[in-house]
Amino acid sequence: MTLRLPLMAAALAVVIGSLAQTARAAVAPMDLVGPVSEYKLYVSEKLQKLVADTKAFTDAVKAGDIEKAKALFAPARMSYEAIEPVAELFSDLDVSIDSRADDYEQGEQDPVFPGFHRIEYGLWAQNSAAGLGPVADKLMADVNELDKRIAELTFPPEKVVGGAAALMEEVAATKISGEEDRYSHTDLWDFQGNFDGSRKIFELFRPLVEKEDPAFVEKVEANFATLDKTLSKYKTGDGFETYDKLTDADRKVLAGAVNTLAEDLSQLRGKLGLN
Amino acid sequence: MKDRKSNEPTLPSRRRVLIGLGAAGGAFTGSLVAGAPAQADNESVTNAPVSDKTLERQPFYGLRQAGIVTPRPAAGMVASFDVLAKTPTDLVRMFQTLTEEIAFLTQGGEPPQLDPKLPPSDNGILGPVVTPDNLTITASVGASLFDERYGLKPYKPARLVRMASFRNDALEPSLCHGDLSLQFSSNTPDTNIHALRAIVKRLPDLLLLRWKQEGSVPPIPVKPGVPPGSARNFLGFRDGSANPSPHDANLMERIVWVQPDSDEPGWATHGTYQAVRIIRNFVERWDRTPLQEQQAIIGRHKATGAPMQGTTEHDLPDYTNDPEGKITPLDAHIRLANPRSHGSEANLILRRPFNYSNGVTKSGQLDQGLLFIAYQSDLEKGFITVQKRLEGEPLEEYIKPVGGGFFFTLPGVANERDFLGRTLLEAAGAAQPGN
Amino acid sequence: MASNPPSAQSGRPSPALMKLAIAGAALLVIVAGVAFYVASQGAKRAQTGTTEGALTVTITDATCNPNEITVAAGPTTFTIVNNSSRTVEWEILDGVYVIEERENITPGLSRSMTTKLAPGDYDITCGLLSNPRGKLHVTPSAASTAEAAKPSMTAFIGPLAEYKVFLVMEAGALVTATQQFTDAVKAGDLGLAKMLYGPAHAAYKHLEPVADRFADLDTAINARATYFEKQEEDPAFGGFHRLEYGLFARNSAEGLAPVADKLLADVTALQQRVRGLQVPPEKMASSAARLLTKVANSAAMGDEDRYSHRDLSDFQASLEGSRKIVTLLRPLTERANPDLAKSLDAAFDATATKLAGFKPQDQYLSYDRLSEADRKALADQFASLSTEITKLNAALGLE
Repeated sequence: MTLRLPLMAAALAVVIGSLAQTARAAVAPMDLVGPVSEYKLYVSEKLQKLVADTKAFTDAVKAGDIEKAKALFAPARMSYEAIEPVAELFSDLDVSIDSRADDYEQGEQDPVFPGFHRIEYGLWAQNSAAGLGPVADKLMADVNELDKRIAELTFPPEKVVGGAAALMEEVAATKISGEEDRYSHTDLWDFQGNFDGSRKIFELFRPLVEKEDPAFVEKVEANFATLDKTLSKYKTGDGFETYDKLTDADRKVLAGAVNTLAEDLSQLRGKLGLN
Repeated sequence: MKDRKSNEPTLPSRRRVLIGLGAAGGAFTGSLVAGAPAQADNESVTNAPVSDKTLERQPFYGLRQAGIVTPRPAAGMVASFDVLAKTPTDLVRMFQTLTEEIAFLTQGGEPPQLDPKLPPSDNGILGPVVTPDNLTITASVGASLFDERYGLKPYKPARLVRMASFRNDALEPSLCHGDLSLQFSSNTPDTNIHALRAIVKRLPDLLLLRWKQEGSVPPIPVKPGVPPGSARNFLGFRDGSANPSPHDANLMERIVWVQPDSDEPGWATHGTYQAVRIIRNFVERWDRTPLQEQQAIIGRHKATGAPMQGTTEHDLPDYTNDPEGKITPLDAHIRLANPRSHGSEANLILRRPFNYSNGVTKSGQLDQGLLFIAYQSDLEKGFITVQKRLEGEPLEEYIKPVGGGFFFTLPGVANERDFLGRTLLEAAGAAQPGN
Repeated sequence: MASNPPSAQSGRPSPALMKLAIAGAALLVIVAGVAFYVASQGAKRAQTGTTEGALTVTITDATCNPNEITVAAGPTTFTIVNNSSRTVEWEILDGVYVIEERENITPGLSRSMTTKLAPGDYDITCGLLSNPRGKLHVTPSAASTAEAAKPSMTAFIGPLAEYKVFLVMEAGALVTATQQFTDAVKAGDLGLAKMLYGPAHAAYKHLEPVADRFADLDTAINARATYFEKQEEDPAFGGFHRLEYGLFARNSAEGLAPVADKLLADVTALQQRVRGLQVPPEKMASSAARLLTKVANSAAMGDEDRYSHRDLSDFQASLEGSRKIVTLLRPLTERANPDLAKSLDAAFDATATKLAGFKPQDQYLSYDRLSEADRKALADQFASLSTEITKLNAALGLE
């Protein structure tokens, strides 16, 4: 008898939960115009910063100023990581700017290995900027091209809203493990970028969801707060500690929050009546 | 005592082959009967599950190797090897010994009993008598075997190349290529493992294991009157719908088997090309994707496997009244893979995949995916063309090919005097028949 | 009375938890049948009596008659008659979703139900849930096929958001250009001020399609002298044209400083308003068309910039602002009516070409140099472009 009751309570919870989820969205499409346009403005700002930061970074690389280039690497990437849902729509540029050595048959030695991580490898693993001139030039050209293409893009609303979850998936798959910036170990910077980007999207659409499901909003905000609090422990001046400083315990806290956010944010499109 | 170093292949007669023990000659999908039948006196939590399929057997000798048009059983494995032979003679020995071992494993029998002071001749996983359990072992050779080592370069199959990265690939060198691939399929993983271990033990000086990937497919309950359906992959979708039928002999001749009159070298007749891909699935992310999006990405209904405008898995997709992709999106996986346009029949491939589940990644995510295996008589027109068509598909967000390779499956072994690779080695002048 | 949470020692669950469990059990038992009721909590319309031309469905204890119905897509009226012995409902289902339904039909009574049906095959529930379901086949009609080509509201989100971004960016550019222009005016640098008038004014023109949404600011920023009783001498006459009058007609910056300051304050206020602006989809095309009609009139009269005669560059800016709108809607137009998409392209191109004809050596002619015939031709061109644009809202299902 005692065993059965928790089971029924759980079953009841499942039923109630599923009933709530069959509710159709009461959000009118026109309500989404404001947040989508605000998001594009946010992305435009980030892009301006990305262009400026990449210029400073690639200039330092070409000048052979290794210390300066190293200092500018992670901050430049933050803007890219924040806008990744939109940048990814142009997969050729995404590959050219942000791919990692595993995507190439000869790994780090592959002559085709481009972008931020190729330069990262040179600066940190080889402590040299030799031969990186052309890679830096290409990176700058790609970032400029990205800026141009995004300016001309009408943002698909489902990609904007879905971007919040997509950013958490990014973190869950590669940033949590420290494989993204494996030479510089600046993964926590990238993490912050992804986190900012995801939170921005959520905040823009939050008023629309709050009407229908305040409990959902509260839960998501709580997880964002956990991420913020945990990551903040590793802040240093303008930036972050290297990934190796992340304690096992904190990594698990982050993983739990990130996975839960990915789960919850995956419902955002449905809640807003998209796709 | 068996002389393991002898150049003479040990004769099958030394082992007692299973005959007339009620083994069914043909293939029918085996099922494992979980849980021992009630035996009050010998009840134990560690009693082995009982199977009535262990004596199922696939013929080994034939014009063509088994394991291709043979119905796919529940457990599979691809193991890739580096060939260590230093001389052509050693290469011959490798093939002959391998052939003998495979013949035994797939037919079953009692391995020789040795003096207990010696290591046993068989690993014993399947017990003192090796049961066939529907095992097939299919041997294929990689492009690297045709390098300078054995003088085989002029005899390389016309389209056999080292697998190059496709755009979405993140190939790990340690999971790719190989001189020799062996595809194991049987009713249970243990049968495959037993066989792999036997081969590894038998040929330590001639073969070095490079990578392996095991896999399985989920069985379904028997439903009388319901036609069989494709097994599901780890995305939860039926995988293998619209696979060309192995019963259509003409079709198999056209799309799978290298024909005598083809532009391939003569020795390659009755062989086929094998494309193996280890494709990781980002399953957590997939499980967080809305159902309708999953269906739009694949191009089929998840529950039934039916195409978007069909009702059963066996309905053929029909895009003639859907030129803009409003019913089946133009970039849906099945539509890109086979647009069913004029000429796309030239690119059919025979798929025989398994699902794999390895470990946990550094991010705490599951390392699971598809052990994709495809056979075709023309690697270019088959797998390579189809894979290029898929470039840019929405499914790419959820999958990442990390390993595999291209191989050429050798022609069949005709009888006990024949052996795998004989036609190739004869063509290269290295072998004497029937030794 | 506070409920007692179950404690590890007691071994008996609390009464509150038990009640919850029992209620849960009841909910579980009926949830299957309840699911689509819950999903269908839409507005209930109560209508009685038969309607002219309606399809009658009679519900008996065991079935509905007819139980297989075929109709053409579009608005359809059903009259549901309850000849059974129980209170029933009648629903049209698409899978598990209820398209439309009538509940609580008492025995002996009938209810009417009108709904707009899209092509497809649907289930009909027929009285008791235990009764076998019927089938409703809705065949495509000419109207439904045309309807299908029209975009859903969701399809407008992208273009509208994009237009909003355009407006915000243009408003920012306007503030910057106006700052530079008014700085030159206040510094008394006539040459520079005259040069900067054109670009600043053109930036405003980009926003003009939505100018009527902020009519007070529009008057303050861009009203012409003719709107005021005392015309150029009217103290209320301000904004761009007042500065234009001072710079070009009087060739002096005297007294213009307060006008310049107010203009800058007004465009800054405009920037704030634009940020909060909501443009409904139907307003996009209609405002572009309306603006271009105004341009046609100005082209004929030559009174847009009557002191500087920079009308042609203003017309170009208006053209660009309108073209932006049509371009953003183009993917939807392409799908709904590809011919219209093409004819709009052609009309815009023709207008741009016509304008370019008045730009020898990359400088627009002073408008007072255009002949009467030229002005009329230009006006006609803008008018016909405007007419073309008015077809958009109907094509996109916004009318």
